[in-house]
Amino acid sequence: MDARVKLLRDFYSTMQQGKIKLEINSHGFVFLEQLLSDGITLEYGQLASYGLTHKYKLLNVPEDSINRLLHDHIQKTCNVCCYFNEAANNTFCFNLDNNYKNNNTVLIPEMQFSVNSLIEYFEELGIKPLVIASGRGYHVWCRVDDAIENQLLSDFMMRMVAKTMAALHENDHDYRKVKFNMYPNHKNNNVLSLRLFGSEHIKNKVFSHVYTNLGLLDEDESWDFFADYLVNKTLPQENFMKAHDRLVAEFSVGDKAV
Amino acid sequence: MNNFSVTLQHTEFKYDDSYGLTKENFSKYLSKLQHKERDDNELLSTEYAYFRYNIYEQCHKLAIARPDGIEFMQWLKANNWRIVICTYRDIRKASYYTKDWLNTNKIPWDHVFSAQNKVVFCKLWGIQHLIDDDKFNVLYGGLYGIKVYYPIMAQHEGILQTGARGFNTFHEVKQWMPE
Repeated sequence: MDARVKLLRDFYSTMQQGKIKLEINSHGFVFLEQLLSDGITLEYGQLASYGLTHKYKLLNVPEDSINRLLHDHIQKTCNVCCYFNEAANNTFCFNLDNNYKNNNTVLIPEMQFSVNSLIEYFEELGIKPLVIASGRGYHVWCRVDDAIENQLLSDFMMRMVAKTMAALHENDHDYRKVKFNMYPNHKNNNVLSLRLFGSEHIKNKVFSHVYTNLGLLDEDESWDFFADYLVNKTLPQENFMKAHDRLVAEFSVGDKAV
Repeated sequence: MNNFSVTLQHTEFKYDDSYGLTKENFSKYLSKLQHKERDDNELLSTEYAYFRYNIYEQCHKLAIARPDGIEFMQWLKANNWRIVICTYRDIRKASYYTKDWLNTNKIPWDHVFSAQNKVVFCKLWGIQHLIDDDKFNVLYGGLYGIKVYYPIMAQHEGILQTGARGFNTFHEVKQWMPE
């Protein structure tokens, strides 16, 4: 197996098995027939609103096919997106998108403020997030060495987002200009997928560069950072729980599940 | 194929907390939606957009399938046509209930797709026949070699001759389909 494919498989190890969304320019019934071999089924297809990009939500995808598609993902001939596990995950992610209808791949000041605030709040809790340029903003990932129940992850993420939105407001930014999605989310685990690191954004063809305090790393540096993050920055479960408890104690938002 | 527009206009939507809105905003947004007012907000995800999705989802589920449409679709399947359901809906969220609705109404289908431009989708996939009421598709499908059939509605009044064929019942469409 390609070393980078193995990296992706290891990093995203608790994602739902056999279920992916494939973003690719290929289309037509001959292509679809080839795609749906080995028992793979199509939940739905989608023609994106730009170019020839098609999105296919695929079910029952065997391991070999996933590895082959991940290889293509790394070669940038398609994008593989995964769905978070419905019960527990060892990764969680804040997806920050530019919320304008038009021209939304532009980096707006509210976006930069949001990502920097989020990083700062993580660091206050002793956590180093993995921040990846997503095309319309950033994906802010965190990886734990064992799966955490989704409700605990949601409790943590909801507070982090609330702090970030409050900071935007307090600094005279319009928080509505940034769309915050949290993964996993019990409402969307079977609905919304997230693109894996190591490919290009389907719309603007920009690589998923890693963002650090030095700015965006180039492609090779990003892969090195990603590999190093997996080995050296994956958070012990105990540390996540300490950060969770500290944040929950600091910031009460009621008992209702979000 | 269904009475979505009638459902949207005539269903009595009741306010409750699940909308996450004040009662005033609920009424304001519902009126805006039922009067087909344009949404000029420059932002994508808004309170109104979420409300609109919520109401549309209810309408999609409540809408009644036309009996002649069901019969026509079953006829297509029996005659070995490949049936692609193509919708403008946010298919990520809508695929489950769309398929449920199709199955409940015994409407056969092979694939479910979403496309904001159905003419482009048909052209790319080599689909020659499109049944759709959208004026855009009625006007432009023919230019790209797509045979468009549309249920005649008030919105089609005054439409230029474009090669698209209007119908009152699906039985008329049957005779236009090649052997």
